[in-house]
Amino acid sequence: MNIRGKAFAVGSAAAVLLTSLSFIGASASVKPSKAITTKPVTLTMWWWGEQEAPGAQAWVDATVKAYQKKRPNVTIKTVLQTTDGLMPGFAAAAAAKSGPDLQYFWGGIYSQQPGWDGQISPVSDHIPADELKHYINATTELSFQGKIWTAPWYVNPSFPVLARTDVLSKYNLKVPKTWTDLLKVCDVLSKEGVPTLAGGVKDGWFGGWLYSIIGGQSVTNKDVVAAVVGKQKFTDAKHADWWTRLQETKDRKCWNSDINSLELYQAQQLWKDGKAAMTVVAGPDAPNFANAVGASKVVVMAMPKWSTGKFAGKMGSTSQTIGITKWSKNKDVAADFLMFSHEKAQLNSWYKLTGSMPADDRFDLNTVKDPVKKALFQSALPGAPYLENFIPAQLDADAVFTNVQLVLAGTKTGKAAAADMQAVMERLRKTDRSLVKNFTAWNK
Amino acid sequence: MIKTAPSEYRFTAPRNLGAVFGRLRTSGPFLWVLPAGLCVLFIFGYSVVDLVQQSFKYEGDWVGFENFSLVLTDPLFRTAMSHNFLLLFTVPILSVMSFICAVLLFETRKGMKFYRSAVFLPYILPIPVIGVVFGQLLQLNGALNSALRAMGFESLALDWLGDPKQALWTMSGIIIWKEVGFGTILILARLISIPLETLEAARIDGAGFFRLHLKVTLPQLRPVILFYIINESIVMVSWVFNYVYVMTNGQGGPGNATVVSELYIYRSAFQNNSPELAATAALLLLLATLVFIIGFFRIQRNASKGVFDD
Repeated sequence: MNIRGKAFAVGSAAAVLLTSLSFIGASASVKPSKAITTKPVTLTMWWWGEQEAPGAQAWVDATVKAYQKKRPNVTIKTVLQTTDGLMPGFAAAAAAKSGPDLQYFWGGIYSQQPGWDGQISPVSDHIPADELKHYINATTELSFQGKIWTAPWYVNPSFPVLARTDVLSKYNLKVPKTWTDLLKVCDVLSKEGVPTLAGGVKDGWFGGWLYSIIGGQSVTNKDVVAAVVGKQKFTDAKHADWWTRLQETKDRKCWNSDINSLELYQAQQLWKDGKAAMTVVAGPDAPNFANAVGASKVVVMAMPKWSTGKFAGKMGSTSQTIGITKWSKNKDVAADFLMFSHEKAQLNSWYKLTGSMPADDRFDLNTVKDPVKKALFQSALPGAPYLENFIPAQLDADAVFTNVQLVLAGTKTGKAAAADMQAVMERLRKTDRSLVKNFTAWNK
Repeated sequence: MIKTAPSEYRFTAPRNLGAVFGRLRTSGPFLWVLPAGLCVLFIFGYSVVDLVQQSFKYEGDWVGFENFSLVLTDPLFRTAMSHNFLLLFTVPILSVMSFICAVLLFETRKGMKFYRSAVFLPYILPIPVIGVVFGQLLQLNGALNSALRAMGFESLALDWLGDPKQALWTMSGIIIWKEVGFGTILILARLISIPLETLEAARIDGAGFFRLHLKVTLPQLRPVILFYIINESIVMVSWVFNYVYVMTNGQGGPGNATVVSELYIYRSAFQNNSPELAATAALLLLLATLVFIIGFFRIQRNASKGVFDD
C-alpha cells in the first residue's frame, strides 16, 4: 500500500471513528424527542403552589387551555392539593401505583426521595438535555447519578425577611442587618409590646424555614449531608449553634407570644396589619406582601447575619418542580406539556399572573421593572442552597419542626434540641436502611 | 336393555325427614349470615394477614422481629402509646358526665327535647369543623382567652393548644365535649325504658333524688354504661386520630405533645415512607385494642344472657 493509500485508509478510519464518537456523544447527551401521539390522551396533574404563589391557579388553567389548543387530542385534569395533603396524597397514590401523571414536588430531598423509591421517571429520560439545561436549580438539587428527577417550575427565593420601616422608625429603629442588631431591636420593641418578628409554628413548616435561614448561615449543603450519613454530627458547633440563636430570639422576646398557637399564614397577618416589624414569607409571595403594605415601606432582605459562614447573609434558592410518575402511560406527552410550559409565552404569563420568577434562564429579567421583584430574583441567581431540602423529610418533621416548637414555647433549650436532632438522625439511619447509601450517592 | 345405576349412586329418601328439616332449621340462620360473614372475614382477615406479613418484612425481605424491635424502642411510639393511655382517663369522666346529663334530662319535664338536641349536637358535628372552631377559639389571643382576660381571669388565659404541657388535656376536654352526647343519649334511652312503676315504688318508699338514681336507676343502667365505657376506651386507644390530625395540622404538636399511636402509624406509612414500621405499629395497636374488644364481647354476651333470662 502506497502512502496515498495509507493516508486514505487512516483518514477513512479516523472519519468512521469520529462519526461514531460524535453519534455516541450525541445519543448520550441529547435524547431525540419522540413524535407525540395523536390518539386521545388524558393526563392528570396534582399540583400545589397557589398557596405561596397566588395566581398560579390562573396560570395552570390558561396553560392547560393553550396546550390543549396546540394538541387537541390531549386533555389535562388538574387538582390543587393542600399543604398537609400534598405528600401523603402522593404516597397513597404511589402505594397503589395509580394516580397522577404529573405530580408537584418541592426541590431537593422532596424530589430525590420519590426518585430513589422508584415512584417517578427521571425527566431527563424524556426531556432533551439542551432544553433541561435552561431549568434553574435542576442540577443543584434534582440531579442524581447523571439523571434529573423533576423539572423545575418556578423559583422560590428562600426565604426573604420583610421589614417594615414605618413600624421600626416609629420607635427610632433601623432595619437590623446583623444578629446583634436584631436582638437589640427585639429588646426595644418587646418593651413596647410589639413583636419584632411575626411567625406561626403550629403547622410545623415554618420550623423548616427557620432551620434553613438561620441554620444555613454556618454550614453548606455538603456539611448537612455529611451529618445525615454520620460523618459529622448535628451536635457539632457549626450544626448546633443555630439552635442557640433560636433560643436567643425566644429569650429576647422577638416573636409574637402566640407563635405556637398560630399557623404561619395567620401570623403573617400581624405584619400586614402593622402589629409586627418583620416577618418571613415565601419568596414568590414576597412582592405581594410588599405591595399590600406599600413597597416603599418595605425592605426585602436575607435573615440578619450571625455567622461568618459561606452563605451567611445570602438568600437561599430552590425551585418548585413537577415530576412524571413511573406509572404514567403517557410519559412523553407529560414531558411535552412540561416543555410547553417553559416556552416564552408561558414564562411571561407566569410572571404576569403570579409576580414570581419562572425557573428558566430564558426568562428575560429586563422585563421586571418592580425593584422589589428584581432584587428578589437577582438574589436567587445564584442563591445559597436551601438547607431543608438536603435533610431527610422525616428528620425535618420529627426533629426540626418539633424542636423549633419546643424551643419557641420555652420548654426546651437550644442545646437539648441539637442533641435530639442528632438522636433522631441516628435512629433514622437504622429505620431507613437505604438512607446512607442514597445520600452518599447524591452527595458525590 | 337399560342398565340401572349402582345402588350407592341411587337417591334414597332419608328415613327420617323430620330430622333433616330440624338440622336445617338450626343451621338456617348461619346459612343466611354466611355470605356477609365471608365478606367480613375476607376484608378484615385479609387485612390482618397482610399486616402480619408486612410487619415481618423490609422491602419484601424477611427480617424477623427487627421491625418490632425498632418500633418498640422508638421513643416517639412509646410517647404516642402513653398519650393513648392518658386519654383513657377521660373515659370515667365521660361516663359520669353522661350519666348525670341523662338523669337531668330525664328529670327535666319542660324543654327536654331542646336540651337533648343541645347535648347531642356536638356528637353529630364533623370533627374537621370542631378542629377549625376550637383551633381559633383556643388560640393564645383567641376568643376564650379574650373573654377570660376581660373578666379579670388573666391567669386562666393559657396557651391551650400551643403549650406542650396543656395541649393533651385541652384535646381531652374537646373529646369529652364531643363524646358526652353519645353517652347521654345512650343512657337516656335505657333510662326511659325503665318501668315507671319501679321508680314510683322507690319514691313511695321514701327514696329522694340521689338515692333513687344511685340505688335504683344506676344498677338498671349497668349494661349500657359498661358498653359505653368499652366503646369509649376503644375510641381513646384507636380512634382519636381525627381530633389530633385536624387540631395540630397533622403534626401531633407542639413538639410531640399530642402524638397518638394512629398518627404515628399514619406518619410512618404516608409521610415517612415506612409501610413496614406502620404495619408493625398497627399490629401492636390491634393487640392493645383486642383487650377491649374481648371485654366488649363478654359484656354483650352477659347482657344477652340477662335479656333471655328475663
